[in-house]
Amino acid sequence: MRKFIADYGVYLALLALLIAATVLTPKLYDVNTIAVVMRQASQLGIVAIGQTMILLVAGLDLSIGGIFLMTSIVVADVTNGRDEMVIPAILIALALGALVGLGNGVLVTKRRVPPFVATLGMLVLVKGATQAYTRGVPGGFVPEVLGLVNQSWFVLSIPLALWLGLNAFFIFVLRRTSYGRKVYAVGSNSEAARLSGISVDAIRISVYVLGSCLAVVSGVVLTGYVGYVDRFIGTGLELDSIAAAIVGGTAFVGGRGGLLGTIAGVLMIQILSTMAILMGLDIQVQFIIKGLVILGAVTLYSLASIEE
Amino acid sequence: MLRKLTLSLFILSLLLGTSIVSIGQDDGMITFEITQEMIDASPYLQSVIPRLNEDYDTSAFAKDPPYRIALAAQGTSNAWSALFDAHAYWYVEELGEEVISELLYGDAQASADIQVPQVEDLLAQEPDALILVPMGAAALSAPVERAMMQGVPVVLCASAVETDNFVTEVGTNLYSIGATLAQWLIDTVGADGNFLMMTGIPGTSTSDIMEEGALAVFETHGIELLDKQPGFWSPAEGKKIMETWLAQHGDEIDGIWSGGAQMVQGMISAYEDAEMAIPPIAGGEMQNGFLRSAIEHGFEFYAWMYPNAMITICIDAAIQILQGEPTPRFIDFVDTMPEARPFTDAEAEDYYRPRWSDDVHGPVTMPDEKLAELGFLVEEE
Repeated sequence: MRKFIADYGVYLALLALLIAATVLTPKLYDVNTIAVVMRQASQLGIVAIGQTMILLVAGLDLSIGGIFLMTSIVVADVTNGRDEMVIPAILIALALGALVGLGNGVLVTKRRVPPFVATLGMLVLVKGATQAYTRGVPGGFVPEVLGLVNQSWFVLSIPLALWLGLNAFFIFVLRRTSYGRKVYAVGSNSEAARLSGISVDAIRISVYVLGSCLAVVSGVVLTGYVGYVDRFIGTGLELDSIAAAIVGGTAFVGGRGGLLGTIAGVLMIQILSTMAILMGLDIQVQFIIKGLVILGAVTLYSLASIEE
Repeated sequence: MLRKLTLSLFILSLLLGTSIVSIGQDDGMITFEITQEMIDASPYLQSVIPRLNEDYDTSAFAKDPPYRIALAAQGTSNAWSALFDAHAYWYVEELGEEVISELLYGDAQASADIQVPQVEDLLAQEPDALILVPMGAAALSAPVERAMMQGVPVVLCASAVETDNFVTEVGTNLYSIGATLAQWLIDTVGADGNFLMMTGIPGTSTSDIMEEGALAVFETHGIELLDKQPGFWSPAEGKKIMETWLAQHGDEIDGIWSGGAQMVQGMISAYEDAEMAIPPIAGGEMQNGFLRSAIEHGFEFYAWMYPNAMITICIDAAIQILQGEPTPRFIDFVDTMPEARPFTDAEAEDYYRPRWSDDVHGPVTMPDEKLAELGFLVEEE
């Protein structure tokens, strides 16, 4: 039973939440509300893909908050409002993001720095570098074309399509390719993976680079969403992405979990946030509910793993 | 044209016992009642009101110039604070080395945790006066007490602390600002309107005091808000919440109270995406990005100012103290900087500066060259 709950608990919890919403906040089922929930969930969802993969190799990435800010600044600075410069700006941001991911990966694998410390240090470094570059004043304008991320057609929007597309691609990669199997192998038992000929360090570094690049993609979506360079852009998404993955069943110690669970985790977190606003709950209550959901999920999964 | 927010009327009304606060406009007055219950319920009002008529005897701090002044600032965290610092350095340069020989600077990065030890470090350098932009009312109370005990006079700039043991506070009556924004909304829409309220960061004194003033006025009129949520002074958060509100309440929304212009930018963007007409919004500021959007979308708003240039008044206050002159215990920047007054959408064009970048908060008292050096001026086409 516990195994069943560990495997399917997040989907059952999501279902229970959706049933509760029919009574507590029926407005959640309006097309406009669903579109809002999906668009907002996509911002978290894209970055949660990378975070899940990093957790699968027993890692963690706190530096993505810095990557959001860096992306926003690069997009506004390079384009200065010119639509034709969007692609070069995104490429530059991706290159810088990959560099940050490479730095994280190298620190964790080659220097044996714990992921928490390495990525926290990188967060401070990236934020410091962006502040030094902007002198604390992010400038430039966000190009109008990025405003397309705000358009919805029924419930479909560009961020949602991007989130679903990236999920489909990475679910395929994790389940159907040797690279995916290596990711799980490294997270389950890195020593066994090394003895079976897997380049453990290369897999870990590549996952950190992928995670950072996905944070850049999410940063571009967020920048278009806000339409303004905000110093606090994406604040809290790094922790929410970890929470979404954990709630979705990805183990903190690596090797177990997957993106389908993370999708459910992201939806749970986003639906809870939206329901809290629809119900007019105080922010303190919202934090308490979010905390209880995370703690509940972790307790369930740890009980299940003890049984195993 | 609007006239300045007259805090003096507030004092007068309290002295006369009429308990009516008025904010002057040529085309009408915004008035609201400050009741004894409101004062009893507000530690902020209880702290500010006695200080309104009080001077501090600064003779114990008198010394000859030049002075070494410590500035514990919010630091490199956003455009508001960057311009605050720029005004500080520019003004010290203007005054000359014969007045201020050194400005000792602490960058709190908008964090009380960083600021507390930083103030200790600044005090260890034995400055003649400390200008503090408190990042937390409770956290910074003890360092302020220690500074005063050490014989370093403290000027609070732009925010308050919980202790009364300092020389003076430069700012404005935030309670009145919050209340005025709410009263404007009621006057504009009517007391039977459906209102929403978006506050800043819960727990920060600026946000909490404004909220307190607004809620008191809404309550006086028996208004039940549709909802109240914190937008964390962030356009992204402001937009996320507004999107949900729009999905929930749609065109039932008659007016919105906002604790900052950044969040209004997010609200405008949400309305734009939903292709709905923007209702009256109380809570704009002289922030160029907000003004650009407001002019573009043409909606009714009421704006207030919290000028970063108030640091020049804080520096003047520090000098006044060190010259041993009696110093008012509360200095409202509006009395010294009359241009920092509330205004409405009717004057938006007058306050919008096409050459300023979106993040500039006015009014700016520095010359344009300084703004250009900081990258705040957009190149002319």
